[in-house]
Amino acid sequence: MSVEVTPEGRGAELVINLKAWGSFADMKAELERNLTTIDSYLMGSMVSIDVGNKSITERQLREMEDILLEHGFHMKELINGEEPRSDPGRLRIYQGSEEAENPVSNNTTLIYRSLRSGQKYRSEGNMVVLGDINPGAEVIAGGNILVMGALKGIAHAGAYGDESAVIAAYRLNPIQLRIANHITRPPDGENIVVNTPELAKIRAGKVVIEKLKI
Amino acid sequence: MKSKVLVITSGKGGVGKTTTTANLGTALAMLGKKVVMLDTDIGLRNLDVVMGLENRIVFDIVDVVNGNCKIKQALIKDKRFEGLCLLPAAQTKDKTAVTPHQMKNLTNELRKDFDFILVDCPAGIEQGFKNAISGADDAIVVATPEISSVRDADRIIGLLEAAGLSNSKLIINRMRHKMVKRGDMMDIDDILDILSINLLGVVPEDEAIVVSTNRGEPAVLETTSRAGDAYRRIARRLTGEDLPIDSLEDSVNLMDRFKKLLKLAR
Repeated sequence: MSVEVTPEGRGAELVINLKAWGSFADMKAELERNLTTIDSYLMGSMVSIDVGNKSITERQLREMEDILLEHGFHMKELINGEEPRSDPGRLRIYQGSEEAENPVSNNTTLIYRSLRSGQKYRSEGNMVVLGDINPGAEVIAGGNILVMGALKGIAHAGAYGDESAVIAAYRLNPIQLRIANHITRPPDGENIVVNTPELAKIRAGKVVIEKLKI
Repeated sequence: MKSKVLVITSGKGGVGKTTTTANLGTALAMLGKKVVMLDTDIGLRNLDVVMGLENRIVFDIVDVVNGNCKIKQALIKDKRFEGLCLLPAAQTKDKTAVTPHQMKNLTNELRKDFDFILVDCPAGIEQGFKNAISGADDAIVVATPEISSVRDADRIIGLLEAAGLSNSKLIINRMRHKMVKRGDMMDIDDILDILSINLLGVVPEDEAIVVSTNRGEPAVLETTSRAGDAYRRIARRLTGEDLPIDSLEDSVNLMDRFKKLLKLAR
């Protein structure tokens, strides 16, 4: 049985294990087959997919997400790699094979879509978002965060304490910015509209925002 | 004064539970009470946005019940009133992240420090609703003068009674007196006839609510807002004052009251 249901005292969490399947086509077929066997009362649940240590591209991930959605499930996370997970809810989309030995290194995670309210992504390395981060969405990275769109939610760079981490966005208009253990929010009552890319970093113990110069 | 846990619920969505919570919480704080507002709509939190406190959130209700932080760390102090606090819901989890038992413990813990604990209930009658009502002393049911809303309110009142909350009070929201007069909208008596619970107040439809919600400033802060005025009166009733349900809430304007008086004189 490759579908595990772990009740954990609060709702069911589904984990679909696709480790045993070599090609992506096989994995997709197996995923489809598994989803049809899951009871309909679990519909709407969050599903995690365990692919072992095969590398999955962003496109493949989205294909799998589409399959889940067709069957009425949501993707919770992609379990990729064999190392024990210290923090649940982490999603590693792409893991460079040469760096598989050391996951806390300079991996960069690419998220090729916009994040909506309630979606939360974590990465131990850097994170690049090709899309917007809407209010209520959250990204957390051990390294730097680059948003090629509007950052309107929460971003936490240097989550393991790296004060040199930066957050850059095409439009920086966040609810909150967090770098290492600093938390800032925009001042009350002021609505500053800036139409240029900006960068946030820590200078002299404070989070400062400056124009992004390239 | 003994502290009170009030759950604000409706069954149907979009009738104004969150608006009512924000406004009653603020109005009670204006009266000098110590108030905490609990958002239990986990996954679809709104109360923080309506209060304009979204950017201060670091910890949320799920962090508190799971012991990731202390209650004091998660409570957000309102920027306007000293005695007003908000405990936000989590946005990235779902309703099952909290159990009714945990909610009960949480509200009991909050009783020590606050006079009023207002629980903003999610729409629906599932887990989120069960969480929200556990630990409540009384319920405030919000309904709009529409048959669907009243039907859901009736169902909710039944469920509340089954859960031992038999002293529910009703707030009729978004009342449009002109439409009632034309006979196009259910009037207060029609609604009370069906629901047969005590009326706590009637809040008129008011555009100021939309404006204030978008600005993150509750309408009770606006002295000119009719809805805000209605909420202020409801808050005074909650503190035990005996205010009649009439005047601004009940009649359209002064002219109508004059007309009424004239009719009586005749």
